[in-house]
Order: sequence, then structure tokens, then C-alpha cells
Amino acid sequence: MNKTYGLALGAVLCLGLAACSSGTGAAKASGGGENSDGTPKTLRIGYQLIPNGDLVVKDQKWLEQALPKTKITWSRFDSGGDVNTAMIAGSLDIGLAGSSPVTKGLSAPLNIPYKVPWIFDVIGENEALVARKATKITELRGKKIATPFSSTAHYSLLAALQDGGLTESDVKIVDLEPQDIQAAWTRGDIDAAYVWTPVLSELEKTGKVLVTSKDLAAKGKVTADLAVVRTAFAGKYPKALTLWLQQQDRAIKLIRSDKATAAAAVGRQLNLPPDQAGKQIDQLVLLDGRQQAGPQYIGAPGRPGAFAQNLFSAAQFLKAQNKIPSVPEQTVFQQGLAAKELADAFPG
Amino acid sequence: MLRAVALRAGGVLALLAIWWAVAATHLWSEVFVPSPGSVWHQLLQTSTTHDGQRGYAGHLLYEHLWASLRRILLGSLYGVVGGIVLGLVIGLVPTVRALLGPLVTFVRTLPPLAYFSLLIIWFGIDESPKVILLFVAALPPVAVATAEAVRGVHEDYVFAARSLGARRWQIPLRIVLPSALPEIMTGVRVAVGVAYTTVVAAETVNGVPGIGGMIRDAQRYNQTDVVVLGLLTIGASGLLIDALLQLAERRLVPWRGRS
Repeated sequence: MNKTYGLALGAVLCLGLAACSSGTGAAKASGGGENSDGTPKTLRIGYQLIPNGDLVVKDQKWLEQALPKTKITWSRFDSGGDVNTAMIAGSLDIGLAGSSPVTKGLSAPLNIPYKVPWIFDVIGENEALVARKATKITELRGKKIATPFSSTAHYSLLAALQDGGLTESDVKIVDLEPQDIQAAWTRGDIDAAYVWTPVLSELEKTGKVLVTSKDLAAKGKVTADLAVVRTAFAGKYPKALTLWLQQQDRAIKLIRSDKATAAAAVGRQLNLPPDQAGKQIDQLVLLDGRQQAGPQYIGAPGRPGAFAQNLFSAAQFLKAQNKIPSVPEQTVFQQGLAAKELADAFPG
Repeated sequence: MLRAVALRAGGVLALLAIWWAVAATHLWSEVFVPSPGSVWHQLLQTSTTHDGQRGYAGHLLYEHLWASLRRILLGSLYGVVGGIVLGLVIGLVPTVRALLGPLVTFVRTLPPLAYFSLLIIWFGIDESPKVILLFVAALPPVAVATAEAVRGVHEDYVFAARSLGARRWQIPLRIVLPSALPEIMTGVRVAVGVAYTTVVAAETVNGVPGIGGMIRDAQRYNQTDVVVLGLLTIGASGLLIDALLQLAERRLVPWRGRS
């Protein structure tokens, strides 16, 4: 008898707790309200340690200056998957994620209500396939290749193999984080790796670069680091988003006009000397607001850019990898590009 | 007996019902609380070949489980054998106890993830570092339990054996070990448990196939239903193995609790 009561009580408690915690979740998702001038009280940003304009904005505190009444929190993330989780939880307003996790987020079953207003960088020579002995991709048949799974490098590796006439089953692909790739390479456990700097630079000393992400981008397999903004936030605080976009644009222009200052800023954030930070910046393809509004990237209102096609191919890749149940319509990705918000920030 | 079985089944059913009810309220997104139905669907998906994809990440669920179990069993086996030998020596020889006792305690307090990167550099990315990690994790509980049990063996047993003419080398194997066996068996169960909790750490590097590798991969794609499936699979296998160990304990030390 007592046991039955206990069980019932437990069930009621569980449901009660569930109701309470989801209540606070909803409060968090709606943000901390707005100031009298229409700016949000809080702006929660998820950033990653990638040598692009975002770190310049963070280091120079431009956003804090542009939105003086807003409390801005910067949280560091190590992967786009974690950014997706935080977005679903409603704990972030703007975040940085690779094109692969963003594709996953825009597709069912996640259907995260966010869109892409900005391309932080297009991955260029900072990610590449390095081999110890092979000089062509076909020579990798039967060899062991390492890459961090679910990353943009993983996507590029499979694209490179396909381009070279090999399939996934012709080689042995192992899932290793960059630091483990370096250890395995030094020990001779792997024959090749698709990885990014700084590990890439170490591998290049004893290996040969077969293909870079820049080469693949020229063949239509573009990978990029993207900004995602919660749709609700973009709708409610267009001015804040405009200011955010303008700071990003300003950072790109600073990198172009005053490389030394920008490299020093990025170096401070990455704990790197300015010259090394400068080299890493050079390996990325950075685009200013005007370029991003072009037909090749995010595009203009009513004329979504070709980047939607990239996300669509990434979705086909994820489907083939069994990471999403089905490939969404291409329009899902066209609507996922915040072309209007971008046009509002850079009129004319 | 029947009552015990009914109680257990009832407990599991109640938990399932609560899970189903919480998921059915849709208070949280499916990403936070996957429904029992979608976990079941994943069980079918990962156990079969569909759309040209074999199970999850190219391996069927039982292959993932077997890869993990193999690592756990090998690591525990080496850990138990090494732990019993080390524990006997520590318990019987005071000099060795002074020398190695603190070292065993030191190793026991190390979090596995902290030294795993060293094992990767020393032993590579294949099976050996994983099994060695589990061995290092499983050894101390057995060694400590054995050493304590050996020291706790009643002196009268040893004296009696000596006066009955037992040789010096016979004492540890014929007298000390059997008397210490109940505590050693507890140490073994703890060790297998530790190996279980460590296997996910071991599979953070090149862990596919393996349940830990599967969970890690699914987490990165927010496939919570696969994560839950992996947890249930590894948990259920753990229950089964512990039940087998308890059975072995009853067979090996039937006198436990009766002396």
C-alpha cells in the first residue's frame, strides 16, 4: 500500500518538476526584455576560437560600444553541435557554427528556428588533406585517414575522395580530434589526415598536401563558418541585429586595411603571437557585407543566394551519412538565409 | 521469488510509463526527451541495414556492443589478474606494502580522461590504449580489496596450516587466497563497474565501433534518441554481467556470510 503511494507521489513530483523547469526555460527563451530605446536588455553570443572577424569584434569590444544599454555575454563553444543544443534550449541569441551543423539544425527533426545572416569565413587553405607518402588521392586506396567526425573537414574529406574517384569504403576513415591526429601521425598510425591549423601546419612539415578546402570550394563543395541568429530575436530586435552585422563588416574592413591591429586582436584571443595569427587569418576567405549580399552567397531579398545550394548539398551528405532522416526541400535553406536582415544592415 | 520478479518488472514498467508520459506532454523538444517510440525506432534502425547504410556509422548495434564488451572484458580480466597478484604481494610483504601502497592509491584517484592522452601518444589509436586504460582503471579496486582481505585473514588459519605441515609456498595459495576470496570478489565487481564507466572515456578516440563512440557521434548530431539507446544498451549489458558475477560469487564462495 505504502509503495503504491510512494510511486504515485514520485510520478506527481516528476511531472511537477517538469512543469516548473519548462516554465523557467520559456522565460529564458524570451530573453530579458527590452530597453526604452528598443534594444534588447541582454544579448547572448556563442563564439568559437576561429581566426575571423568575430574575434576582432570581441577583442575590440565594438558590440559593447554599439549597444551600451545591452548586457552582452560571450560564451565559448568548441563545436557547432553544442551551439545547436544551446539554440534549442533558447540559451543563445547569436552563435557560430560550421555549415554542416547549421544544415543539420535547419533540417528535420531539429528544425531549429534560426537563420543565417552572416558568413564569418569561407574555409580556404586552413583545412587540407595531408598524406605521408601518397601523391595523388587514388594512392590512398586501402589507407587509414583520420579526421574529426561531423566537422567541415569530414565533409570535405568525403568530397575529396569522391572527386578523386574513391568511395568511403575504399579507405579506412577514423574519427580523431586534431591533437590526437598529431599524435597518431607522429607515431605513424595513420597514412593521411584531413584537418585544420595549427595541427595542419605540423603535418605539412613531414607530409604532402593533396587537396585543400579552397580547391574543393572551387569545385562547388564550399564549407564555411556561419552565424546563426534566433528567428524570434531577429524579428524582435532588428536594430540590434543590424548593429551586430555592421560590427562584423567593420572587422572585415579592419583586417583588410590595418592587418597588424586586427592580427594583434585575434592573437590576443587565441593566445598566439600576432604574426602567426595573421598567417591563420590569411588562410580564410573573408567577405564584407556587400560581397555577402551578392548572388554567390546570401543574396538579396527575394533572390536567395547560391549558398542555399551548398547547404542543400550538405544535407544530401548528412542523409547519406544517416545523420538526418530525409533531405529537406531546397526552399528550407533559401528561407534559412537572412537576406532581408543583411540588406537592411547594408542598404544601397 | 515470484514477488521479487513482479516487483522488478513493475518498477521497470512504471519508469517506462513515466518516461512515456513526460515525452507525450511535449513540454520539452524531442531533442531533450526523446520518446520511447523513437528510441525503439532507433533500435530497429541501428540493428538493420536500410537505405544502403549498415546500422549506425557502418556497424550494427550488436557490433558496437561487442566491441565495447570486448574492451571491458579484456581490461577487467587483466586488471583482476594483476590486481590479485599485486594485492597478495602488498598484503603479505610489508616492504612492498610500504613501496607500492601509496602508488596504488595514487593511480586509483586519477581520472581516466586525464591520462588517456598519454596512452594515445605511447600506444597509438587502436585497441591497445583502450584496453590498457581499462586495465589501469580496473586494477586498483582489486588490488586494494585483495591487500585488505589478505591482511584480515585470521592468523589461526595460517598457524594451523603450518603446524599441520604446510610448506611455505602453499600458505598464500591454499590458505590466504581462499579466506580472502569473498572480499576479492567484491573488489572484482567494483572493478568491472569501474571498467564500465571508463569505457566511454576510452572510446573518445577512434571509438567506432563501440557504444561509447556511437554515443559520442550521436551527441554531435543532436541525435538524442541514439544517445538514450546507447545508454540503455550499455546499462542492460552491465546488469547482465553483474548478475553473472554474483552467480560466480555464489559458486566460488558459498560460505560467504556463514562463517
